[in-house]
Amino acid sequence: MSEKITFTVNGTPRTVDIDGGEKLIFILREKLGLTGTKRGCDDASCGACVVVIDGKAVKSCVFPVKKLEGKEVVTIEGVSEGTKLHPVQKALIEAGAVQCGYCMPGIVMELYALFNREPGASDQAIRDALDLHLCRCTGYEAIWEGALLARKYLAG
Amino acid sequence: MQLKYIGKDITRPDASGKITGRVQFLDDIKLPGMLHAAILRPDLAHGRILSIDTAEAEKSPGVVKVVTGAGCDLVYGDNIRDLTPIAVDRVNYIGQPVAGVIAETLAEAKAAVKKIKAEYEPLPVYTDARDALKKDAVLIHENSGDFWHLPGIEPIGGTNIANRYTVKKGDVEKGFAEADTVVEGEFNYPFGSCSAIEPHGSIAWFHEDKTIEVWSSSICPFIIREEVARVYGLPISDVRVHIPELGGCFGYKSDITVEQTIAYLASQVPGRPVKWVATRKEDFLSTLIGHGIRTRIKIGAKKDGTLTALKTEVLHSTGASADTGVHVLIAATHNSTGTYEFPNCYLDGYSVYTNTPPVGAFRGYGHQESQLAMERMMDILARKLKLDPFELREKNYLGPGKVTSLGETLHTTNGDIGKCVEIVRRAVFSSPKKKAEDDYYYYGRGFAALMKSPKGAPFSSKSCYLKFNRDGSVSINMGGAEVGQGLRNVVRMVAAEALKIAPERIRVYTEIDTQFSPWEWQTIGSMFTTQGGRAVVKAAEKAIAELKKTAAIVLRSEVDRLDYDGDYVFVKSDPTIRVPVPDLGRGYTFPDGVTVGDVVHTTSDSRLPLQSNPDENGQGRMGITYTFGAQACEIRIEKKTGKVIVDHFASSFDVGRVINPVQIRGQVAGGVMMGIGASLHEELKFDGEGKALNPAFRRYRFPTLKDAPGKQTIEFVETPGEIGPFGARGIGEHPLVGVAPAVLNAVYDAIGIDFFEIPLTPEKILEALKQK
Repeated sequence: MSEKITFTVNGTPRTVDIDGGEKLIFILREKLGLTGTKRGCDDASCGACVVVIDGKAVKSCVFPVKKLEGKEVVTIEGVSEGTKLHPVQKALIEAGAVQCGYCMPGIVMELYALFNREPGASDQAIRDALDLHLCRCTGYEAIWEGALLARKYLAG
Repeated sequence: MQLKYIGKDITRPDASGKITGRVQFLDDIKLPGMLHAAILRPDLAHGRILSIDTAEAEKSPGVVKVVTGAGCDLVYGDNIRDLTPIAVDRVNYIGQPVAGVIAETLAEAKAAVKKIKAEYEPLPVYTDARDALKKDAVLIHENSGDFWHLPGIEPIGGTNIANRYTVKKGDVEKGFAEADTVVEGEFNYPFGSCSAIEPHGSIAWFHEDKTIEVWSSSICPFIIREEVARVYGLPISDVRVHIPELGGCFGYKSDITVEQTIAYLASQVPGRPVKWVATRKEDFLSTLIGHGIRTRIKIGAKKDGTLTALKTEVLHSTGASADTGVHVLIAATHNSTGTYEFPNCYLDGYSVYTNTPPVGAFRGYGHQESQLAMERMMDILARKLKLDPFELREKNYLGPGKVTSLGETLHTTNGDIGKCVEIVRRAVFSSPKKKAEDDYYYYGRGFAALMKSPKGAPFSSKSCYLKFNRDGSVSINMGGAEVGQGLRNVVRMVAAEALKIAPERIRVYTEIDTQFSPWEWQTIGSMFTTQGGRAVVKAAEKAIAELKKTAAIVLRSEVDRLDYDGDYVFVKSDPTIRVPVPDLGRGYTFPDGVTVGDVVHTTSDSRLPLQSNPDENGQGRMGITYTFGAQACEIRIEKKTGKVIVDHFASSFDVGRVINPVQIRGQVAGGVMMGIGASLHEELKFDGEGKALNPAFRRYRFPTLKDAPGKQTIEFVETPGEIGPFGARGIGEHPLVGVAPAVLNAVYDAIGIDFFEIPLTPEKILEALKQK
């Protein structure tokens, strides 16, 4: 039972055929070739697949594509401008938060949504947002410092 | 030594590709005509296969082929050949492949797998070595005594013992006779999962010209190449293995595991690539799991604390295959001395087949398991002898002139445990404990010393290909797998230092492709910085020699009269007589076009010098480059819940030389966090029937940001080693090794209860407090 659904991805309107049961991650990765969004767990527990929908950080591995009509999606591919990195990306690199990098797109999107909404987000708000993400490499120290640095960059 | 680049915070070359999601991991790869595989796993952990009905699956939409193990006679393994790509007539663990569906889409493959009906006749299930060792236990491999294996591995046919490894040093009975005190204990380090965020996966493609191409999220491209070639009867050169970007490893993407299964499926549909990526559940149960090690330990000591004898029995529940676990057992056994010199040792290790997924490498590789026992026993022994635990340890530390269990004499270049201890003592124990408890918490502090030796193989090596470009920039190609640890930056920084060229002018390889990449055994054992870095220095020295050779012609001089500074090759006695390095890279061209000298590109390789197989006493040069360290922590235990909160964790290692401060801190912070996870909540649990109880991130709880220690003190000692580049030793696995005993020693300090196993969950603490 194929149907068409229209939404924007990184500012570009897209129309795709869906069967109805797919999750957003499948559409992004398999139909639109946006492989920067990562699959880690299939049950919304790791955060590697987080994208931003209408300004909110959402786990795309459980987001039903049916609910996407008319929405604005931003993925990791839509965060930097050309080769110019977003301050969140720059800050995470400078803090040494990038090791294997597999969790990074999800974490960048989480912080991107948070700081767009609340440029001066409190430590507690940052902690709550990052606590939704699993990273096996860093022990979180550098990710935490990167997030604080990003807040500083975005404030200044 | 004045260093220009090493020791500086230079940003890793792969950071921007990763932070933009642009780099390509295995699951991001699409190939022309690519098919997808889904795999049927059994619903019991041990049984004979009675029937597999694939009729319905074959009729399912999109299905190209359904594959079972009927008639499959392939066996593989790089240490012990006890693996088959797919279950043939029997299943030995939950998670084993029983049948595979290859279809046009993944959804179609998954839908068809559900239509396969398999029937089994159950066999008794053993998830613990102690049960599999019982006299009447069913043999998990009936012909285990006949399996091909590497030298130094001793299977005991007719039992479930896949390997027995015993170290004998001195006379252990005499040692115990000389002791004034003997302490004993039994410890358990349960199963765990490496749980990289990127699940393991593979793509295999049998080509029309009989060559085979494989992609894998593995750290062992060359082992995959060699084993796939052997199994399918091809020259090694006809198998090409690609390793794209890797999303973490921590051990379990080593050796050869899922690749043979996917290759076997792909062999049934030659001409088309077949892709498979593990679901999270498969990643838990169908690749490798970790640990499963029980250590029984008995220590003899004199009244003054001098150690006289050590007896350990290390029992490894190695799962349904021992190929990947056998060296974990060996490492756990000979490193069960920890950082101490025992004149008399009897260290007895057993790899025992059980009905769990195969157990293999987990960051730390046997060290944390048996050193949990040693470091807890040191505190217990100190109490019994009424000695200060630091003094007891200090009396017995390994160091220059001391001899390890393997019979290797240590030298100054093996590092300084004493300095590491002082650093963490200062960080955690410099003042008396502020309070023992208050209304809400008990407070405790704990310490552990540690030792890590790489688990190499006598033939292991790492190679480097280094090429000067015509503008004086340099390209370097190696076979080391970047899993996130930052080895590309280590290569670049070591090359920059050795060549005296800015790191920005050195470009390091990204993916590995066995068609182009220089040979490397496998990227394991915290060896890359030491061994790979050594290969880089050797290749750089050869390149400089080449540059000088050509410059000698150009300058009408002789090589020994020339020097090199990265920009020029010049005459030592008159540096104004010189030739720019970029002019030498492709040979030197005179104004009339005549060109002299060779293209400057060099190769090198680097072994662990003189590494040997174990002798009849289990001894030999198997440790090679030891690294020592110390860890300590300050904890709180919440009275109401029993929860352990780590307020401060301190670590120090003698790494010989810090290459990149940001990266090495990241390695330690991450490793400590993994150790805290293992100490307090991580355990992959199986029920009595061998079924996994928590193969999902929500139930296998590994730490989140909120579990991170309040503070980490991380400092390094730099006593140069003799093998690694500029004295550097490894660090990848070490940060995990002392965490569990430090935490458990702190728990004793807080509540006066000795624990002998992990994880120390709140329930266990509350229960123990109640008993007390």
